[in-house]
Amino acid sequence: MNGWTGQILRVNLTTKTFQVEAFGEKFAHKWVGGRGFAVKILYDELAPGIDPLGPDNKLVVAVGPIAGIPAPNTGKTVVAAKSPITGGYGDGNLGTRMTEHLRKCGYDALIVEGRAERPTMLYIEDGKVEFLPADEVWGKGTYETNDWIYAKYGKGVGVLNIGQGGENMVRYAVVRSLEGRAGGRPGMGAVMGSKRLKAIVAKGTRPIPQADAAGMKKLGTDDLRTVHEMDKKSGWSIQSTTGVLAWCNEVAALPVRNFRKTHHPDAWKCDGERLNNARIATYGCPNCTMRCGITIHDDLGRESELDYENVGLLGPNLEIFDLPPIGALNYMCDDYGIDTMSGGCVLSFYADAVEHGAVSGDLRFGDAEGFKKVLTAIALRQGRIGNLLAEGSMRAAQAFGRGSIDYAMQVKGLEVAAYNCKFIPGMALAFGVSPIGAHHKESWVITFELKQTSRESYGPEKAQKVIDLQRIRGGLFEYIVACRFPWIELGWSLDNYPKYFKAVSGIDWTLDDFWKVSDRVYSMIKLFWLREFPASDRRLDYPPAVWFDPANADTEGPIAGQHLEYDKYDGLLQHYYDIRGYDRRGFPTKATLARLGLSAEAAAAEKFGSLA
Amino acid sequence: MKVTVKLIGPFVNLHGFSEKAVEVPPSSTIDEVLGLVGIDKARPKIVTRNGRAAAAGEKVEEGDRVVVSPIYSGG
Repeated sequence: MNGWTGQILRVNLTTKTFQVEAFGEKFAHKWVGGRGFAVKILYDELAPGIDPLGPDNKLVVAVGPIAGIPAPNTGKTVVAAKSPITGGYGDGNLGTRMTEHLRKCGYDALIVEGRAERPTMLYIEDGKVEFLPADEVWGKGTYETNDWIYAKYGKGVGVLNIGQGGENMVRYAVVRSLEGRAGGRPGMGAVMGSKRLKAIVAKGTRPIPQADAAGMKKLGTDDLRTVHEMDKKSGWSIQSTTGVLAWCNEVAALPVRNFRKTHHPDAWKCDGERLNNARIATYGCPNCTMRCGITIHDDLGRESELDYENVGLLGPNLEIFDLPPIGALNYMCDDYGIDTMSGGCVLSFYADAVEHGAVSGDLRFGDAEGFKKVLTAIALRQGRIGNLLAEGSMRAAQAFGRGSIDYAMQVKGLEVAAYNCKFIPGMALAFGVSPIGAHHKESWVITFELKQTSRESYGPEKAQKVIDLQRIRGGLFEYIVACRFPWIELGWSLDNYPKYFKAVSGIDWTLDDFWKVSDRVYSMIKLFWLREFPASDRRLDYPPAVWFDPANADTEGPIAGQHLEYDKYDGLLQHYYDIRGYDRRGFPTKATLARLGLSAEAAAAEKFGSLA
Repeated sequence: MKVTVKLIGPFVNLHGFSEKAVEVPPSSTIDEVLGLVGIDKARPKIVTRNGRAAAAGEKVEEGDRVVVSPIYSGG
């Protein structure tokens, strides 16, 4: 079957056994790969209500049909499981050589089941699977673990690993790969840790089945060169994503002081210009010519790789504006294997809770050394506070009480990314309806919202744009598994992706065919949520309450006195549901599911919750 | 009258400054201000005036802050 290896590797850590399972064209064409494969597998195989940190959860590692083949920014892999922080479907993608090696071992996906008796490293080499002891690196950070793996197998292998955050089941621990960055914000690292799975290593040598391998090779390598030239011409990589910081500060969208403020006069100290000046190296994923990671020395001289989200949330959000301590907090998150975004939001939430008397403590905004101590307590689950904060801001707020849930910056349990939506209704909606909890990867609508529409509007044009972007970003790029940057930052045409798909699979799809898959994948994720939370309603899609609070409105600047309004937000949410074909609770209707070929899945879901 | 022009991202490197005060004739438009500092009209960008999106023909006022940024897509 061209375009897919047609095989999934299933591994059981409890029994130390594995089996290779075949899948056919029907499955491949319906779900394509990556997120599509992951949600279908998890929906079919996980019983509702299982403990996400128990042996019954499964970790899915999945790639797409153009994975492992040189083409613009195709070095990404999806990691997915039932999320320990949201309780719903969770996933993330990361750049890694695992992408190429998993496919060259002969698999489009890996399913990890059970729980190992001892810390384990899974080693896959073509048809071989080994369960190896990892006691030597259990308790070690991701950098040392990665070095240990490279010393054994060389630098060319594919690696996914976790740090102490994953081992200790911090609910927002990520999966790391030093060849790219981190993935699986909704706790995929914690799921690995719960299975005592320290690392997965793969080394593959088998050919990847392609309809037109020679044509794809030429197309992919030519296009990599073209994208590289486009990037050089545009100058995007000079500051990469970190240019966003200065812009957010100008338009009152920067998270400052746990999102209480939207801009700060000192923000320039950690903006893209300063980062570029402090740069000692540049980092990128396999098959990428837009190397977006800017590496600087932190305050201990360690090399810390930064992008906008982690600077925004570990910097201004904590009222820290000097790059070296921001770099240090980022390095610690990366080494512990903790999500930098949720990590930043949890730290800022704690400082806010102390300030507002919800919990006693001496942590203050701006205290970098204090934040470092709390971060270590979280990663190692030290003490009551470390343990509570390791649960994420939603659960910590439930424990602290005193109204602190209102300023826990999360949706569905997952913390928001670095965009302060105090008065950006469309982006607030994008966070609200992101299918894995608040994440910017699904739909980044701010520039459209500010440039093409009125900021004050809660109209259907914003809901439509959120959906359009979800179909591309949370759909196409998550199941074909490629990075969105060439398209969104350089204008690389989306029409290129059906060309790649045709070259590898022989299938001639239009972009509309892909959008149908996107809608199917989103609906499937919704069914996963329905099964887990059958009594839930549209309030699950509401952003943090503090954005609606008049007392929290800016007192000066571009949006002084303005804030989100519940009635209007609810209307915007309804526009989204109407366009999507969802009911008033926010779930796809039976008619929508039938149109997307999901009638059987709908019938299965109705055993647990009703559909309109 | 004077306005401040702030550039973001690659615009800084293209034009050799990050932020500067610019003397402009009264009733100048955003487009005219950008023309004075040499910003390419055809290059995709988002322009704000005092933190709110600004149209090309919008008139500037004394003390305004005009910001020119690429159309980012997030981190």
